[in-house]
Amino acid sequence: MIPEYSLGLFAAFATAAVAFYALVRETDDLHRLLLTDLVEIVTLAFIALVGTDLAEALILPGLVVGISELIALSEIYRVKEGHIHPPRKGLRIEVMDSAPLIMAAILVGYGIVLSGFPGGAIAGVGVIFYFICRGQHERFELIETASGYSWVLWIVAFFTFMLFPQYWFCAVMLAGGAILVKVMAKMSLIGAMRGGPNA
Amino acid sequence: MLSIGGQDLFVLEFGDILHYFSPYTLTLFLLAVLFTGLAIISRPEEQIEIAFGGDAYYAKETTLPEMRFRRFMAIACGLASIGAMVSGDLFNYTLFTSMVGITNVGIVAAVKNRHVLNAAYAYGIVAMIATLPLFGSAALIVATTGTLSIPALAAGGQAVPLVGKALLVLGVVGEGMAPFYAAKAEMFRAPGAPYVIMCSLSSLLIFLRVVEIVTTI
Amino acid sequence: MIVSRISRFISDYQNLVALFAGACILISLFGILSLPLAYEENQIYPKAIDRTSALDPYDRGGTPFNTTTVVAQYPENSPYLGYVTAYLTPLSKYLADHTLHAGTTIVSHPGGIIDEILYNTRGLDTVVETSILLSAFAIASYLFRRTE
Repeated sequence: MIPEYSLGLFAAFATAAVAFYALVRETDDLHRLLLTDLVEIVTLAFIALVGTDLAEALILPGLVVGISELIALSEIYRVKEGHIHPPRKGLRIEVMDSAPLIMAAILVGYGIVLSGFPGGAIAGVGVIFYFICRGQHERFELIETASGYSWVLWIVAFFTFMLFPQYWFCAVMLAGGAILVKVMAKMSLIGAMRGGPNA
Repeated sequence: MLSIGGQDLFVLEFGDILHYFSPYTLTLFLLAVLFTGLAIISRPEEQIEIAFGGDAYYAKETTLPEMRFRRFMAIACGLASIGAMVSGDLFNYTLFTSMVGITNVGIVAAVKNRHVLNAAYAYGIVAMIATLPLFGSAALIVATTGTLSIPALAAGGQAVPLVGKALLVLGVVGEGMAPFYAAKAEMFRAPGAPYVIMCSLSSLLIFLRVVEIVTTI
Repeated sequence: MIVSRISRFISDYQNLVALFAGACILISLFGILSLPLAYEENQIYPKAIDRTSALDPYDRGGTPFNTTTVVAQYPENSPYLGYVTAYLTPLSKYLADHTLHAGTTIVSHPGGIIDEILYNTRGLDTVVETSILLSAFAIASYLFRRTE
């Protein structure tokens, strides 16, 4: 009987070798960017193989680091290739005129109930859906300011946990809410930065 | 196991994550603080290019937003290096190292030059795929030893698998590759030189720290 | 001769991605060769599966505003850790009391689940991680807003 963990590691190492082999062979810049996703998934597999509650907690940072580096790199790619004009028109179907408000409201509401990382992701999906359907009216300054303040709130919650552990309840609520706003603000801008002359 | 860190002078505790100051890590910590301070107070150099064979010369302008952005990135990079120098937790160290990587990309990506952007993009790809060896090593070590704390790993009798250490070193090499690209893309000649120096310094510091970690655990 | 060929290959930054990926392939093969690796049973934050619990698979024990035992690395640094773990929001408490499906939705309400690891004992990880998100986003938005 082969131990389960070693079996899992074998699969993860083998997949990693395949993913890296693909990166060795690929020379096109855009395809390289897409292939990094393959690598990111193997990273998550390594963490998930630990199989404890700790692994569940560590997957979130692993995931977020991958996503955030993807945001930065795709923007660098866009600038370096000189794609400064937004795509002329996207998908227009009827549901995009009727649904956005109610869908966004439901998703954001549910995200607020969930709070924390998954809540932020769900609320972010709601906001991004609204942006896609209603066009480019995001105000970057406002979203950046909101996420900056929520980052500060989160730091405050962290120090409350460390210095005044008896106020743990307050700190949990503060941290959950701050992470919600922060992740939502960032998620809602993925794919919304399409470039444009007066952005 | 050979210990190059020396005796702990002071331990700062944040829950499960310890920060320990041994003579070795304290030295690196002070270096990181010093260079971050220099990045805060220094001003970008103004470059003059001389057209060869004539009298003409022209100055390269560094715009204020670009200067501010690169200073912000350099300071963030310095703070990440400071954290990486004293972190006593493997996963926390790998996160700080990833942050050094992404801020290094930011420092070089702000330059408005296609050649530099190409190099920044290639470096970004490496920094991104380097998260696999980094997080993979942390996950492998926690699965095989049951802990992430460096002092506990140093004290305990658990054997850290060699492949875990190899992955960690490879990951740090990937995140710290910036100087290769910087040198190649002649970024040191790009305007705003003092901030680009931060790339090399932070890479050097995380290399020095990973040596200490690998010999300690 | 061979040295100059190697240095010519390395000097092109387009090749460095391939070089690094090649090194990663070698380490992966080394990892396969070093199998089997023993799994340490004595883990911190172990996962207990209780199929009969309403909170399965996220049952961490305890009731709201009471403590529970958590196997942390340094429990003395977080005296109120058990309280954070045991807390459930009213909604998730209601779901757990009346249905068996609390564990099937994304119930990440403050407290419970993995929050005591994310926010409390390993809170610094989350601080660094949100800082990474902040700097990556700063890069993207700077490049996006810069007028060409």
